[in-house]
Amino acid sequence: MKRLKLSDILITIVIALVFGIIYKLWGPVYAILKPFGLHVGDVIYGMWFIAGTVAILLLRKPGVALLAETAAASGEFLVGSEYGLSVLLYGIVQGLGTELMFALFGYKRYTAFVAALGGIAAAVGSLVMDAAYGYVMDLALWNLLLLIGARLLGGFLIAGILAYFLVEALEKTGVTTLIRPASDEDYKALDQ
Amino acid sequence: MQWTLQYEETWLHRLNPAFKLVFFLSLFLTLLFVHNPNVMSNLTFVPFILVLFATGHRRIVIALLLIPFLLLFFSSASSMMFFGQGSTTWWRWGIVHITEESFFRGLHIGFRALNFALLGLLFALTTRPVFLFYSLIQQLKVPPRFAYSFMAAVRILPVMVEEFQQLRAALLIRGVKKKKGLRRVTQSIMLYAVPLLSQSIRRAHRIAVAMEAKQFNNKERTYYYKQTFSKVDIYFVLYIIAGFCLSYWIGYTFPYFEITDVRN
Amino acid sequence: MKVGVSNLRVKYAGAKTLLFNNLSLQVEEGEKVLFLGPSGCGKSTLLQILSGLIPNAVPVPMKADQVKTPESSGVVFQDPDSQFCMPYVDEEMAFVLENRAIPQPEMKKLICLYLHKVGLSFSDPHVEISSLSQGMKQRLAIASMLALEPDVIFLDEPTALLDPEGTTEVWNTIKQINEKQTMIIVEHKIDEVIHFVDRIVLFDSKGKMIADADPKSVFSFYKPKLKEYGIWYPGVWDEHRKENNLPAPYVKGQQLMVINQLQGYRGKTPKIEVSDAIAHEGEWIVVTGKNGAGKSSFLLSLMNVMKTTGTKSVRGQLKTIKASREQLAFVFQNPEFQFITNSVYDELAYSLEMMDDRNVAEKVKNWLEAYDLHHVQNLHPYQLSTGQKRRLSVGTSLFGDQPVLLLDEPTFGQDASNTFKLLDLFEQLRSKGMLIIMVTHDEMVVQNYATREWVIHEGKLIEDRKLERREEEERYAVDSTI
Ligand SMILES: Nc1ncnc2c1ncn2[C@@H]1O[C@H](COP(=O)(O)OP(=O)(O)OP(=O)(O)O)[C@@H](O)[C@H]1O
Ligand SMILES: Nc1ncnc2c1ncn2[C@@H]1O[C@H](COP(=O)(O)OP(=O)(O)OP(=O)(O)O)[C@@H](O)[C@H]1O
Ligand SMILES: [Mg+2]
Ligand SMILES: [Mg+2]
Repeated sequence: MKRLKLSDILITIVIALVFGIIYKLWGPVYAILKPFGLHVGDVIYGMWFIAGTVAILLLRKPGVALLAETAAASGEFLVGSEYGLSVLLYGIVQGLGTELMFALFGYKRYTAFVAALGGIAAAVGSLVMDAAYGYVMDLALWNLLLLIGARLLGGFLIAGILAYFLVEALEKTGVTTLIRPASDEDYKALDQ
Repeated sequence: MQWTLQYEETWLHRLNPAFKLVFFLSLFLTLLFVHNPNVMSNLTFVPFILVLFATGHRRIVIALLLIPFLLLFFSSASSMMFFGQGSTTWWRWGIVHITEESFFRGLHIGFRALNFALLGLLFALTTRPVFLFYSLIQQLKVPPRFAYSFMAAVRILPVMVEEFQQLRAALLIRGVKKKKGLRRVTQSIMLYAVPLLSQSIRRAHRIAVAMEAKQFNNKERTYYYKQTFSKVDIYFVLYIIAGFCLSYWIGYTFPYFEITDVRN
Repeated sequence: MKVGVSNLRVKYAGAKTLLFNNLSLQVEEGEKVLFLGPSGCGKSTLLQILSGLIPNAVPVPMKADQVKTPESSGVVFQDPDSQFCMPYVDEEMAFVLENRAIPQPEMKKLICLYLHKVGLSFSDPHVEISSLSQGMKQRLAIASMLALEPDVIFLDEPTALLDPEGTTEVWNTIKQINEKQTMIIVEHKIDEVIHFVDRIVLFDSKGKMIADADPKSVFSFYKPKLKEYGIWYPGVWDEHRKENNLPAPYVKGQQLMVINQLQGYRGKTPKIEVSDAIAHEGEWIVVTGKNGAGKSSFLLSLMNVMKTTGTKSVRGQLKTIKASREQLAFVFQNPEFQFITNSVYDELAYSLEMMDDRNVAEKVKNWLEAYDLHHVQNLHPYQLSTGQKRRLSVGTSLFGDQPVLLLDEPTFGQDASNTFKLLDLFEQLRSKGMLIIMVTHDEMVVQNYATREWVIHEGKLIEDRKLERREEEERYAVDSTI
């Protein structure tokens, strides 16, 4: 397994902190959409999983999604998140969700499809936390189903598809040559 | 977090940061097992008093920071109030169904969310990140590579703010037309997120190389700041324990709400 | 031999060709060596290989028969804002001492010692790094490098982003370091270094070594090569002027721009005040002043991007960003932030399409030729070289027929050929009657091209000097007002 180098860690954390700030700003947005209790707002909940997918799509190394999502949550916590310490635990579980999906594909596939699965897995992670954490199970059934559906859709759309396109746009700027490992062909060319 | 905010140091700043973090985490877990809304609402005052009087920050700053918390209180409480299950119906209107059980459960959730939020704010307002990371290395054995990366990354954020302002001015001057609806979202991602992220990734890479050039690796290292424990840590624990006892006692002797366990 | 490589080959991921092909180089104890070569020839890469950063910290595919790196090496990079990992001066210095496992009680003393060596004496070194000037930051970088007690010092353009004062400050600091210190230096601005180094190694654009000798011989025997690759050398300005018959004499044009009681604000504080100024067609006005004086703020207020009071006009009042944009073409200090599309072609076409122009394709084609960007038209703007990026940013701002061109330090950090290409382009525009207002730190541009100088000091325009465009070496101020 490829160990994370200092630059991998630093880049991951920088990306994560940027998203951490977005996460903090997302709090009030979500809170405004939510009071009607219809969970329509939960479609945008997917934003809270995006750091993991973006980071692992960029760096393509094991452990990056978990690190990124945890770091983003820590960043959000340190700037005074209204969710307090709970964001740390949520972050870890959501990051694990994304990480697992990429691990399932042996860290070999970094396609939109896997990214979407990663986003959905993070959403599942957040729902598991909700169940352990609160009284979600006491919601009326139709309301609970609406919550689950919206959450998964959000994970798919924002943490999956949107993250994928963001990384694709970043690739076009040429930064990824800086951070991705060289291929075997590059090493072979040295011997010619 | 303190990059630019002016504040006075208080005894809360002298708590051992790693201990503070672990202790707060355990408080957080403890709160999950409190199901009595009376106790929960009392408990909210424990961190609230400290946030108001002991963080050393100006009142106006604290007041501003508290605004989102109120929003959160209502948003956390409302969905459970309106759509939760329960048998004693108070009000029904279309799909909205408020029952006694769901109402108190909602209120309880709101108070709990407020409690978590205040604890988090208390931590953020009284902890200097650099000390936190030193303490994480020294007390919790977090690998220095991660802790120092965090400290370095924090330095990039203000630079990004400046870059954002430049970028905005540049786009104004070029006369970029704002698109409407969903295309507006993709447009701002392309115009703002991509250049800013791309630049900061390059910057992060350069900083990492500079750190390695300063021979930062996994050898033995010494520390400039020694993070230790002190009496203040004990005072803090005592304050919290006293707060909990008082909240329970008041909660059970002078209940405001009839319901004492929101789970059923 | 202190440092060296033999038969070095390097290949960046995705690059089509090898960067070095069997390069060999040795540096002896106590030598001071300057690497000189066109942008992108591999100087920084070689420096990082010799210091051991490649491939240990940066995994670039490379191969060599032998690589000798020093026991401990100290490196200073060009960007003052991306070398530090801690927020305060003392903490940053301590970071190095921690890496060396120096016991904590000794740290305070050592921090002061090394800071003192570079002339940074704070009574308490617990100072925020962000409050330092760029020059001070670079000296801090040198101090923390010295704290490593390195065998060999590597400097990669340590003054590339500094103003003239900062540059002198930093080189004076470096020159004070121990005389026997081995040093390997990469630097474009050679004026300060040529008297300091013993040896110059010259590379061509493919990373092949074409000369390795003392400075005098290099500058006398290899001048054609230096010219061919656009490298700065002493006397390059005079030669350029002679060869191109520059500058054309300035004939006073019609009055074009009038500024009255202009104030530009950031928040509530005015950052720039210009009581009154008038500029004419065909003038080339340089705006000079220290870092932070308010030069950029001046240009931004003209563009109405900052909050302003007072009046300014060019063929009519400039009250909105849109009005300003139609009269003033603006080129930013950092061109990367000006790009909004994914290719060079689209970038040029964008401005035209905004003007509802019909002949987009034809005009863009002409521009691509004019700015020498034809062969890279399909690349992403970020993938261009620094010189190309700058030319593209000029191209994108000149979309209409604006009579005024505002430039914020356009020649900063460019090599000689890029600098001259840009200056010649501006001169061409000026001779057709355009008014050029250019922020610059470059004394040579002021002397050789400007017709007028505005000096900004602490947020105020304090001096307005007419400069005579003459062919002699010395130019002098004829007229001083305000
Ligand atoms: N991470 C990278 N991935 C791919 N190519 C790279 C990378 N870094 C540098 N290069 C290429 O390698 C070549 C040498 O780069 P290097 O930075 O060593 O040049 P340089 O001589 O220092 O140039 P400058 O004077 O502009 O600093 C350039 O053509 C550059 O485009
Ligand atoms: N975004 C900003 N917000 C607040 N103050 C700023 C901002 N940008 C610059 N300033 C301040 O305004 C003053 C003038 O800055 P300006 O950028 O105009 O200087 P300058 O002469 O262009 O300097 P330089 O040579 O470094 O480019 C400085 O004191 C600077 O600190
Ligand atoms: Mg270089
Ligand atoms: Mg400026």
